Amino acid sequence: MVSKPDISVKFCGYEIENPFLLSSAPPTCTGEMIQRAFKAGWGGAVTKTIKPDKTPVYDLKNRFGRMGIEDKQLVLFENIEEVSKRPVGTWVKEIKEIKKAFPDKLLVGSLMAEPKEDDWEDLARVISEAGVDMLELNFGCPHGMPERGMGAFCGQRPELIDSLTKAAKRGSSVPVMVKLTPNVTDIAYMAKTAEQAGADATSAINTVLGLIGVNIDTFEPMPSVDGKSTFGGMSGPGVKPIGMRCVAQIAQATNIPVSGIGGISTWKDAVEYLLIGAANVQVCTAVMWRGYRIVGDLVDGLTNYLSDKGFKSVNEIIGKTLPRLTSWSKLDKDWKVVANIDKDKCIKCGVCYIGCYDGGYQAIKFEPNTGKAAEVDEEKCDACSLCYLSCPVPGCITWKRVQQK
Amino acid sequence: MSGRTHPPILPPQVRIKTFEPYAENLDDRMALYEASRCITCYEPPCKEACPTHIDIPEFIHRIKSGNYYGAAKVIRQSNIFGGECAYVCPVERLCEEKCVRNSLKDEPVAISLLQRFAFEKERKKGIIKFEKAPPKKKKVAVVGAGPAGLSAAYELARKGYKVTVFDSNPKAGGLMLYGILPWKASWEVAESEIKNILEYGIEFVPSKKVSDLKALLNEYGAVFIGAGTSKSAKLGIEGEDLKGVYPAQDFLYDVARHLQKKGKAPDLKGKRVAIIGGGDTAIDASMASLRLGAERVYIIYRRSLAEMPAVPYGRKQAKEEGVEFLLLSSPVRIHGKNGAVTAIECVKMALGEPDQSGRRAVTPIKGSEFKMDIDAVIVAVGQKPDQEALKSFGLKLKNGLIETDNKFATSIKGVFAGGDVVNGGETVVKATAEGKLAAESIDQFLKGGSK
Ligand SMILES: Cc1cc2nc3c(=O)[nH]c(=O)nc-3n(C[C@H](O)[C@H](O)[C@H](O)COP(=O)(O)OP(=O)(O)OC[C@H]3O[C@@H](n4cnc5c(N)ncnc54)[C@H](O)[C@@H]3O)c2cc1C
Ligand SMILES: Cc1cc2nc3c(=O)[nH]c(=O)nc-3n(C[C@H](O)[C@H](O)[C@H](O)COP(=O)(O)O)c2cc1C
Ligand code: SF4
Repeated sequence: MVSKPDISVKFCGYEIENPFLLSSAPPTCTGEMIQRAFKAGWGGAVTKTIKPDKTPVYDLKNRFGRMGIEDKQLVLFENIEEVSKRPVGTWVKEIKEIKKAFPDKLLVGSLMAEPKEDDWEDLARVISEAGVDMLELNFGCPHGMPERGMGAFCGQRPELIDSLTKAAKRGSSVPVMVKLTPNVTDIAYMAKTAEQAGADATSAINTVLGLIGVNIDTFEPMPSVDGKSTFGGMSGPGVKPIGMRCVAQIAQATNIPVSGIGGISTWKDAVEYLLIGAANVQVCTAVMWRGYRIVGDLVDGLTNYLSDKGFKSVNEIIGKTLPRLTSWSKLDKDWKVVANIDKDKCIKCGVCYIGCYDGGYQAIKFEPNTGKAAEVDEEKCDACSLCYLSCPVPGCITWKRVQQK
Repeated sequence: MSGRTHPPILPPQVRIKTFEPYAENLDDRMALYEASRCITCYEPPCKEACPTHIDIPEFIHRIKSGNYYGAAKVIRQSNIFGGECAYVCPVERLCEEKCVRNSLKDEPVAISLLQRFAFEKERKKGIIKFEKAPPKKKKVAVVGAGPAGLSAAYELARKGYKVTVFDSNPKAGGLMLYGILPWKASWEVAESEIKNILEYGIEFVPSKKVSDLKALLNEYGAVFIGAGTSKSAKLGIEGEDLKGVYPAQDFLYDVARHLQKKGKAPDLKGKRVAIIGGGDTAIDASMASLRLGAERVYIIYRRSLAEMPAVPYGRKQAKEEGVEFLLLSSPVRIHGKNGAVTAIECVKMALGEPDQSGRRAVTPIKGSEFKMDIDAVIVAVGQKPDQEALKSFGLKLKNGLIETDNKFATSIKGVFAGGDVVNGGETVVKATAEGKLAAESIDQFLKGGSK
């Protein structure tokens, strides 16, 4: 038998048994929860964000929303939750307990404070001394906290990223990772700022600011708190493309590792993040919906994938796709293909036809109910790929290379 | 690939105690799931396969979007009996047979279940009403208030004609109320759709058998005949007139009247019943016999299961309920004592090569005769129109059916016909479609000048 691929990863001097971490969020709200997650097999966890005892926080009733499409329950998840309400002392005690029970797991303490350097420095000192392996600075929470100068308020201001990262570094006895918000014009710039301020790693993304919906029967925005609402943070499968874009941009712009977050529910999502340069991945929403147990498939699926592809270690895939991401202007304008429909696979549903007719180049010939397969007019096909993407039959539409005229 | 939704159905031993419907409908969640399985094809074969060409992807799309009333409207626009059809259509050989999901080695989308779902939503809100053209002077008479006649009447009334419908039955509905029993479709479904049609200003004359076409033509600009097929075909064997032998149409009519508390069904309690035939009517008769308390029910069919015209769904239901299938067997004689049935004698059949129609011929196997003790026989080997009535109309006939051209015009000018009386006995949806198309022809004819 071939030996199992190695899925352990290195991160800021630590070796983690697998690249799957819980992100700072409800699944890491207490020491007891984190210990259960570790028992289930997670490689590491970032605590729910800890704040100084003097900073008040509230948990609104209720604070989540959901967007589904057709029968899919969850496409996007929204929250307007704040950071941990628990006193620093409680966290210190529980961090010690977790580390004692699981010395080999990566335990990261997430921090947030008002934009005062002393507060950040003090909190970093207390939590790092409690025994965490790393700190994560939450510069990302886009709702609630920014109204009081915290979370994304900091992540959207390079000067605060700079000064507060430096402050935390002064206080911390362990490596510091900066968690960035996607709600900025140029996340790579923010990541570089953190790197220059001395951050040992970055993580992205925190949630994307949005409005999940309006109840059209009651006219309430959602999630409704006694009839009213505010903008909230989107997470879950729908934010994955945004997360991947941010992580790739950061990976291209900085020389410190980046922990990939955003919409990861399966090992395939994780593989994609690793391919575009994430050093490891963090998960929240998928665990909120299905529990810690999903790590079983994350680990197993990744292992099987690596062995099927002939990789010996997960490190061989980290960043593998990154060099293929370039600017639009560097893409080959002379590359010419046309769509080709496999007559035998075509089920005559006409989906490609109507798409190309109304939303493309009128390049598909199709006569409903004649039993004849759809056919591409190669002269007219502009290779936009609409048909290829909307065809319900796997492998029916493929690309045919054509010589440049 | 996501599989089809199968809403629960009552177990056989429970459902045979009543004539009530036994299959549950989709709830909102199941409907959303099932609707999401639709590929939303462009001008798809399912739509083509539906005789009324309901825009199936469009109505399913509206269910996905949560516009249930809009979904019902799309269906009703094409088929005014869309609710009834959702329950009684043999979809396994209509729309669902053509669903492209079949080509994906998947089960078809449950089109009829989604259609029921849309109509149950509509029923709660009130039936959809369409616009009517301003009244015209011309009058049209419709003979027969089955789906064909009512569909024609509805289309004509919407076009502004003054329409009168005659039926020899006390209620309008034809076989929907006097043939199809309520475990398939609760009669309320048909009744609400019939009431809706009559509300378009149609005059209904009940319990009136029409025999004099000439008289009608004197009063009306055109006549549509949708007289159906009320007579069962005969076996033509010895003993067929014994007591306890029932033509299927009469039997089911009597069961319907019994359930409507207007008549009496044959007493089959504890009896052994043999049903001759392999079509949907035979299946219905077998299931009705069980519900009337019969102890053993046999379906005797000449060919094998593969050739059986009854849809697989019905066959499966009947089998589950305990109906026994005697295949490749043909009755040769019915035995009796004191004028009443006591036994049936059959001969075993051998399957031959397929004929032009693709159906395999059968030939009796010499010496294979066998005899079974039974108490009743129901003959379900086809149906035909009441020949006496057709003769009195004076129309040109073909194989005992009214002959029409492709526009549903008969041999007498101004007289049109459609439904079972023309096609020899098909489905509610086919009758509805033919009534609708005939109404188009009648409109053209009346616009053409005369009366
Ligand atoms: C037992 C049984 C089960 C069936 N199950 C199904 C099913 O599940 N699904 C399906 O789609 N189809 C089914 N069918 C077939 C379906 O019922 C018919 O195809 C359909 O009703 C035909 O409609 P129609 O309007 O042509 O005729 P009918 O429904 O037969 O209506 C004809 C009407 O004309 C009236 N009439 C006849 N002569 C005269 C006259 N001279 N004067 C006045 N009135 C007259 C009759 O009283 C009757 O009301 C079934 C049929 C039977 C017998
Ligand atoms: C209910 C909820 C609460 C969260 N709280 C925090 C938090 O306290 N600190 C933090 O850094 N991120 C917080 N997040 C953001 C997540 O850690 C994560 O960055 C984001 O949800 C994207 O990942 P996902 O798609 O796997 O959920 C929260 C997310 C959710 C859904
Ligand atoms: S690739 Fe675009 S243009 Fe070409 S056939 Fe498909 S939809 Fe039409």
